[in-house]
Amino acid sequence: MPLGFPDRQGHIVRNRRLLALQDLSPSRRLVLALLACALTTLVALPLHGVFDLANIVMLFLLAVLLVAVALGRAAGVLAAFVSVLLFDVFFVPPRFSLAVQDAQYLVTFAVMLAVALITTHLAAGLRREAEIADASERQARALYEMARELAGVLTAEQADEVTRNFLRSHFDIDAGLWLADASGELQPVGAAPQAASAELVLARVAFDSGRPVNSGEHAGGRYASAWIPLTSPMRVRGVLWVRPLAADAQTLYSQKTLLSTVASLVAVVIERLHYVDVAHASQVDSASERLRSSILSALSHDLRTPLTALVGLADSLVLLEPALPEPARETAHALRDQAVRTSSLVANLLDMARLHAGQVKLRREWQPVEEPIGAAIKLLRPALGDRTVRVDLAPGLPLLELDAVLMERVFCNLVENAAKYSPPGTPIDIAAELGGDAVEVRVCDRGCGFPADKSAVFGMFVRSESSQPGVGLGLAICRSILEAHGGRIEARDRDGGGACVVLSLPVGNPPAIEEESE
Amino acid sequence: MNAPQQPAVLIVEDEKEIRRFVRAALEHENCRVFEAATVAEGLLEAGARKPDLVVLDLGLPDGDGVDFIRDLRGWSAAPVIVLSARTRENDKIAALDAGADDYLTKPFGVGELQARTRALLRRQARAGDGTSPEFRFGEVRIDFARRIVERRGEPVHLTPIEYRLLCVLAAQAGKVLTQRFLLREVWGPGSAESSHYLRVYVGRLRQKLEDDPAQPKYLLTETGVGYRFQP
Repeated sequence: MPLGFPDRQGHIVRNRRLLALQDLSPSRRLVLALLACALTTLVALPLHGVFDLANIVMLFLLAVLLVAVALGRAAGVLAAFVSVLLFDVFFVPPRFSLAVQDAQYLVTFAVMLAVALITTHLAAGLRREAEIADASERQARALYEMARELAGVLTAEQADEVTRNFLRSHFDIDAGLWLADASGELQPVGAAPQAASAELVLARVAFDSGRPVNSGEHAGGRYASAWIPLTSPMRVRGVLWVRPLAADAQTLYSQKTLLSTVASLVAVVIERLHYVDVAHASQVDSASERLRSSILSALSHDLRTPLTALVGLADSLVLLEPALPEPARETAHALRDQAVRTSSLVANLLDMARLHAGQVKLRREWQPVEEPIGAAIKLLRPALGDRTVRVDLAPGLPLLELDAVLMERVFCNLVENAAKYSPPGTPIDIAAELGGDAVEVRVCDRGCGFPADKSAVFGMFVRSESSQPGVGLGLAICRSILEAHGGRIEARDRDGGGACVVLSLPVGNPPAIEEESE
Repeated sequence: MNAPQQPAVLIVEDEKEIRRFVRAALEHENCRVFEAATVAEGLLEAGARKPDLVVLDLGLPDGDGVDFIRDLRGWSAAPVIVLSARTRENDKIAALDAGADDYLTKPFGVGELQARTRALLRRQARAGDGTSPEFRFGEVRIDFARRIVERRGEPVHLTPIEYRLLCVLAAQAGKVLTQRFLLREVWGPGSAESSHYLRVYVGRLRQKLEDDPAQPKYLLTETGVGYRFQP
């Protein structure tokens, strides 16, 4: 594998600081060290007798230093010993023998060896540091390149490919992304590496715990792969699977920091892709929402106009001069009633559609609960005829934060229902009192009561089994409105016969009323 | 001025069938009726006919009914009844704030239309009489000169704000008054945020003046819009 890394155009850039010598195998380095020592001896031999022996020693020390710098620690140590040996044999009298005439040369040898070894140590250390710095710079640049590539990816597949290529080409590591799908199951993104089911369990462990899991620990080192969770700011989005191509578990361990950096880069990208999806989906949603709302408003306008004309025209038949005969007048009244009913049905349907589409924005204002109650009764007065509605409100009820229009609708529907399902002449009772942190309002009648399954009456298109007309939307609308207010609605039987609908409206924090000074 | 017996009414409404029955209803009320289908036509007719009352649809093909009201209010005080859809409270409020006097929610019956028209024309006719020192409704009597309110002959104690609110309502009897208008008139400018005060004080007036405060007869709530004092 060439040392270096692909630049932006894919060319291999050689690092200028690295000499070709570094590509050599350890044994060749040792041979070169020996050659260097021999060369030094050859150079020094003609100088024998001309130079002092102390200066010859200097030549050998220089050679050891150069060997250590160029070829590393092992070569340096070898050169140190061989230099001492060669110096003894070729320069110290008696020459060409290991014997030493003057014992003081033993000190020379010892010092020479010590200096050579220390120099070797220092030089090799420097070299090692340079190599480490160099490697981490390469790693940083490679990571930077990868991050830049990841920044541009548009799909999880591309992210998988970039990660795979990066780890394979720079670190000899095989990799693959596994992401959690909608149901939380981990699925491989690219061509899935054949993973044993035991390995999938490990993937799950890494995903759930948010910590890397090394399969070597579990499978006796046979599969030296690891699962690293992709932890993004919001949550764990999946796992990164890695395995060294050279079947060397040590590689993974030594690259721990690198791998977790890669994993967090990928996690951020996956999260970004996720939010791109979310944004796209909400864009689609809001487009269909806009369409729905424009259909609704067009529909409500198109239906309202002819219904208004129908109600008015039927009404104006009565005004004709000369007056219509009685049967025709009755028909005109019936026409009008039917048109009014159709129109309230349309209003109910449109309200329900709006409430369900989540389009209704509450215009909540603090007000006493008798406001919508009174308004609803006044609105229904013509339809109620002379039926009594008794309103009994506990004194000192707090203000409630209500959408007056919608709550008026709730009370209209409830009073209308009560009138519809109870015998004419029986009163309708509305009562309100404070119960805990909610105001409870009851609308009760003396009719036939609710069916046994009371929760069902708030469903859509449910109506009483009696022959009363009307599509069962009224109570469903009430429930939606109550829920929008954070309240509840409930159907109950009334003591002594009849039905009660109980609303509970949360009290909240009503604003203070500053009393005027008189 | 037109003969008081035959008030002139202008209908501005783009839907022909609605115009037709509104005309029938108003002619039955002994009005002279003129029709227009657009804002532009309506303004021309209003200038030419000098109507005593305008019935105006808010959704017109060539513009907003609210603009029509603003234009009309520049030179005429004739009452305006607005026709509008339920759920369009903001439109109603805008129209009322621009100077409309009342509104009818579609669909509406002929009887309702005739009643509103009569009330507004009567108010219009009475407006010239000058202010009377006294105002009666139900069993209640307001004596403006002595600042006294009596119910069934008994004096009713009203706080200064309650009295002011009652006076504003009585001065505009029959007309729908928006929350914003009432807050400004009674509490002064800059009080638009304290609409709950208005509701609380209307509630107190009802307690003191209505037979059944929960089902008021005179101090009526126009839900989502404001209040109407109906003597």
